[in-house]
Amino acid sequence: MYQPVLLANIEKDNSHTLAVYEAAGGYRTLRRVLKEMSPAEVAAAVQSSNLRGRGGAGFPTGLKWSFLPKDHPGPIYLCVNADESEPGTFCNRVLMELDPHQVLEGTILSGYATRASTAYIYLRYEYPLSLRRLQQAIDECYRAGLLGKHVLGSGYSLDVYIHRGAAAYVCGEETGLIESLEGKRAWPRIKPPFPAVEGLFRKPTVVNNVETLACVTHILDRGVDWFRSMGTPPDPNDPRDPGSFGPKLYCLSGHVSRPGCYEGPLGLTCREVIDEFGGGVWKGRKAKAVVPGGLSTGLLTAGELDTRLDFTGPVQAGCLGLGTAGVIVLDETYSMIDFLHNSCRFFAHESCGQCTPCREGTRWALEMVERIKAGRGRIRDLELLLEIADTIGIIPGTTICGLADGAAWPIKNAIRKFRDEFEDYIRRTNPAGYGVTEPVPALAGSSLANVH
Amino acid sequence: MAIVIIDGRELEIRDGERLNGIQAAARLGIEIPRYCWHPGLSVAGSCRMCLVEMGIRAPKTGEVSMLPKLTPACNTPMRDGIVLVTNSEKVREARARVEEGLLLRHPIDCPICDKAGECRLQDYHFQYGQSRRRADLRPFTSRRRDVADNVTLFVDRCILCTRCVRFTREVSGAGELMVTGRGAHEEIDVVPGFPLADKLSGNVVDLCPVGALCDKPFLYRQRVWYVQQHAGVCTGCATGCSTWIDENQDRVYRVRPRENAFVNDWWICNDGRYDYAHVHSPERLVQPLRRDGKSLVELDWTQLPRELDRRLREAGRLAAVLSPFLTVEEAYLLAQYVRTIDRNAALALGPVPAAAEDEHFPGGFTIAAEKCPNRRGVEEVIAHFNGAATSLDQLLQQVQQGAVRGLWVSGGYKNDWIDPPAAARLARAQLLVVQDLFPSPLSQRATYVLPGAAFPERDGSYVNRHDHLQSVRWAIRPPVGVRPEGSLFWELQGRPGLYNARTVLSEVAAQIAYFHVAREAIPELGVNLKVNLLAGT
Amino acid sequence: MNPTAGRTLTDETREAIRAYFPRYPTRQAALLPALHVVNERLGYVPPETVVEIAELLELAPAEVQDTLSFYGFFAQDRPQGRETVWFCQSCSCAARGSEGLLVYLCEKLGIRPGQTTPDRRVTVRAAECLGACDSAPAMLVDDVLHKDLTGEKIDRFVESLNPEP
Repeated sequence: MYQPVLLANIEKDNSHTLAVYEAAGGYRTLRRVLKEMSPAEVAAAVQSSNLRGRGGAGFPTGLKWSFLPKDHPGPIYLCVNADESEPGTFCNRVLMELDPHQVLEGTILSGYATRASTAYIYLRYEYPLSLRRLQQAIDECYRAGLLGKHVLGSGYSLDVYIHRGAAAYVCGEETGLIESLEGKRAWPRIKPPFPAVEGLFRKPTVVNNVETLACVTHILDRGVDWFRSMGTPPDPNDPRDPGSFGPKLYCLSGHVSRPGCYEGPLGLTCREVIDEFGGGVWKGRKAKAVVPGGLSTGLLTAGELDTRLDFTGPVQAGCLGLGTAGVIVLDETYSMIDFLHNSCRFFAHESCGQCTPCREGTRWALEMVERIKAGRGRIRDLELLLEIADTIGIIPGTTICGLADGAAWPIKNAIRKFRDEFEDYIRRTNPAGYGVTEPVPALAGSSLANVH
Repeated sequence: MAIVIIDGRELEIRDGERLNGIQAAARLGIEIPRYCWHPGLSVAGSCRMCLVEMGIRAPKTGEVSMLPKLTPACNTPMRDGIVLVTNSEKVREARARVEEGLLLRHPIDCPICDKAGECRLQDYHFQYGQSRRRADLRPFTSRRRDVADNVTLFVDRCILCTRCVRFTREVSGAGELMVTGRGAHEEIDVVPGFPLADKLSGNVVDLCPVGALCDKPFLYRQRVWYVQQHAGVCTGCATGCSTWIDENQDRVYRVRPRENAFVNDWWICNDGRYDYAHVHSPERLVQPLRRDGKSLVELDWTQLPRELDRRLREAGRLAAVLSPFLTVEEAYLLAQYVRTIDRNAALALGPVPAAAEDEHFPGGFTIAAEKCPNRRGVEEVIAHFNGAATSLDQLLQQVQQGAVRGLWVSGGYKNDWIDPPAAARLARAQLLVVQDLFPSPLSQRATYVLPGAAFPERDGSYVNRHDHLQSVRWAIRPPVGVRPEGSLFWELQGRPGLYNARTVLSEVAAQIAYFHVAREAIPELGVNLKVNLLAGT
Repeated sequence: MNPTAGRTLTDETREAIRAYFPRYPTRQAALLPALHVVNERLGYVPPETVVEIAELLELAPAEVQDTLSFYGFFAQDRPQGRETVWFCQSCSCAARGSEGLLVYLCEKLGIRPGQTTPDRRVTVRAAECLGACDSAPAMLVDDVLHKDLTGEKIDRFVESLNPEP
C-alpha cells in the first residue's frame, strides 16, 4: 500500500508551521546534509536518482544542475517556479498552503547543492493563502537560523524572497520567469545561452518547480534507491531514457466524483487515477476524453485510459507528455468543440506575442474555432488548424518557447482523435458552407477582443 | 580557422571572427531572410524568418548529422563543423509560414505606404511567400499615431520585430519606445508626454522593415523607385557620417545613413538626416554678380573666370579665407591658385561653427561639437602652404592695415556666419570676392558675389575628427547660375578639361605628408590618414 | 514638454517600494513589486504614477509601461471595485459550468465581464486557471477562494455585497 511522502503532513492541524514540521522530522535531513555532505555530493545524489522536473518539461534535475559553471565566483541564483498556471494543475498550491516547510527544506538543500546565494520564489498572484503561509514559514526559518547567514551555523548562507506574479501563464516558462523577475515583460529568451550559464541578472541560474524541490528532500532523506524503487524504469532499448522515478502528485479534476490532489508512484495509469483516487467519472457517466497532464498535453480518448502517467506513456498515446500530471476528465456529454474553443482562447490569451508563429498562429486558430462554433465552419478549417498545430513550437524549432507546443497539442489531439465529432458539427451547423475552400469573411468581433 | 558548410559550400572563418549564420551565408552570396536581426542591435530571434536547418559535421569521419528541428540563423554562432541548409523544402515551408503569419492581419496599404519598393515584407512575399491567402477575410485597419515630431507610426502595419524598441534602449539610450499589451494585441507606442525626443530618433525609420514607422519630412513626398541613391558624406559636423543621398531630377528627397564601421556604423543623427532643406532653399544665391559702385551687374560664367583672374592679378596682394566646408581638393586648388599670384598671400581658416561639446550616446555614437565636415582637412592644406594658418583675426588686421588688396572668401555656410562689423572690416579690401550659398552681410559688401555649391553638388574629400578621409562624387547638379568651387578653381588655374577631384587628391597626397595614404584609391568607406601614416613610417 | 512628475504617490507608498530594493541587484527587478504596491493602495495604476515609479526605479517611463501593460492585470483608467472577482474560465471550471455562472453573476450585478458596478463595490473579471480545479467552478474574491460555485452560492455572494441598510 503506497504511503504518501509528499502529502504525509497535510492532514495535520497547523501542518504549515515549523513546530509541526519539525515534530514530524522536518529539517533533520538538512541538518545532516550540511554536516556530512558536500554540495557536489548532494548534486550527485540528485543526479543518480534521475529525478525529473515536475513542472511540465520533465528535464532531469541533476543534469540541469550540472550545466552550472564550476568555480563561478557567483552569485548563483535559484528560482522556485511557483507560477503554477497550467489548467488542471493545483498540486503546488496544496504543498505551499499545507506544507510550505517541505518546499523550503527542498529549496535550501537545492540551494546548497547548486551554491545558490539567493532563492526567489516566483509565486503566482492567484495563490494568496500560499503567499501568507510561505512568508510565515520563511519568517520562522529566519528566526530559527534555517535561512540567512550561516544556515544552522554552517558555512552556507541563503536568502529567500517571494516575488509575486501578475497573472501571466508564460511566467511559468523558465526564461519568461527570469525576465519577469528582472522587471521586464515576460518574453522568454532565445537559447543559447541557457539559464545555467546566463540566467537571472545574467548570472548562472537554476529554475526548479515546487514539487521537484520537495522531492529533493526525500531523495536525501530516504536515499536514491528508495526513490528509484517506484515508477517506471528506463526503456532498455532507449539509452537516453532516464526513466520515470519517484512519487508524483496527480491533480484530478473535471467530471469526476472526487476531484483532488493525490499521491502515488509515477506510472499509475490514467484509469487507476480516475477510478481509485477519483471515485470514477461522475454522475454514472462514461469518460469521453481525458487530459493527461495539464491542458497543454492534449487528450486521451476513452480507449487510451490505460496509458501510464509517466514521462513516456502519454507520448506513446500521441500526447505532448506527462506535463504536470493534471488529469482533467471530460464526460460523454461534453462537446469537443467547446473544449477546443476553451483551449484556443487560453493559449491565444496567454501567448506572449514575441514570435510570429505563436502570436499569429494561436490567434488564427482561435478565430477559426470561434467561427466553427458559431456555425460558419468549413471542413477545410480542420486541415488549416492541423497545419498550424503541426508547425508551431520548439519541437519543430519554429518558436522560442514551448507555449506554442502546448497550444498545438490540444488542437492536434482534439481534431485527430475526435474528427467525426468535428465534421458532424460543421456539416450540421453550416450545411450551405461547410465545403467551401476559398477564404470566407471573418466573424465580426472575436472573443479575443474582450480579454486583456 | 574554422570551416562551416552552407548549402554544400565551404566557408573559412578566421580565428577571432564572430559570425552568425546570416553573416556567414552572406559571405557566400546566400541571403537568409530576416526581419528582427540587425548587426547593430541585440539578438531577438523572434521573427523566425531566418530559420534554417542545422547540423554538425563530425571532424574525424566527415559524417553530417542534421538536427531534427529548425534553428534561427541569427542566433547560431559559426563554429568549426557547423552545417547549414538554407534551401530545403522544410526551410522554404517555414519561411512561407512566417510570411503568411505576418500577412494575416497586415493591412495591404502598399499603394499608400511609403515603404513600397523598399519593404522587406513585400520583397520576401515575392521571394518566399505563397501566392494565395488562406485565412479569413477581414477589413483591415490602418491607424496612425505620431511618436515624435519627425516620426509617425502606422500601428497596424507593425510586424513586432522590436528593432525600434531595442534601438531606443541600446543605441540612443533614451528608451522612449515600448511594446504594449500581450500576444496578438501588442503594439508599439510611447508613453504620452514622452515622445521620441532625442537626436537619433530618425534611425528607427531606417530600421523598420515595413512601413510602420515613417519619416514625417519624407512622408508621401516621393516614391522610392524614382530616386537614385548616391554615396555621400554628411557635412553637418566633424563626425562625418557616411550617407546615401536619394535624389530625383536633381532634387534631394532624403538622406539616409550609409553603413560604415569606421565612422557611424549604421546611424546618423537628425541634424544630419534632415540637413538638406537648405540645398533647395529659394534664398540661395544663384546669380553671379559684380558690384560697380552702387549698381549690381549680373554676370554669366563664360567670361567671369577670366575677369576674376585679371582683377586678382591687378590687386596683387591677396589673401583667402577657406571655410571648413570646402573639400580637401577645393581648398588645395584655391590656396594653390592664390599663392601662384601672390607667393605671400595669407590663408585663413574660416569661422568654425561649434556647439559647446560633443554629444555621446550609449551605443557609441557621437555627434561632434564642431559643426562642419572638414576643419582638419582644410587646416592641413593651409598649413602646407602657410606654415601655420593665419587666424581670421590676424587676417582682419592685415586687411585693416591695407596689406591685402584682393580677398577671396570661400564660404559654403548654411547658416549666418558673419556679423556686419566683421563683414565691414573684411570689406576694406579693395577687391572682395565672396563665394557662398546664401546672402550675408559680407556678400552685400562684396565686389563679386559667386554662388557656391551645396554639399550634394560637390566632388571631393572630407577629413573627420578622427582623421578619417572619405571621398564623394556629386549627387545632384546645382541650380543654374551656381558654379561648384572645384570646377571654378580648376579653370582659374588654367587646367585643361573638367575638374577631376581624384587627380587633385593625388597631387595633395604627393605634396602633403598628412595625406600621404590618399595617393592610393580611396575605399568606399574611406581611409584613416593617421593610422595608416603611422603604419607607413 | 514632459509632464512634470507630480506627487501622486505618497511618501508611505514610496517607502514601501524602496523596501524592495535590497532584495535585488537591480532597481528594475523591483518593478513588479512596485506595481503591486501602487495597485493595492490606489486600486489601479494611474498613468501619472508610471512616471513617478520610473523615477524611483531609474527607468524610462516606457520601460515601466511596457512591463505593466504585458500583464493585463493592472487597470489604468480608473480604480477597480472595493473587491475584485477573478472568475475562472479555464478547462476544468468550464467543464463544470463556469461560463454560464459568470454570465449569471454579471447579469445579477448588471455589468459585463471586465466592468465594475456603478457603486464601485465590485469588479468582475474573467480569469484563466486559478489552480482551484479541485473545487471547480471557482472564483477568487481578493484573498478568498469561493469554491464549488452554484447559482445559489452566487446569489448569496451578491447579497453579501449589498450594504447594510
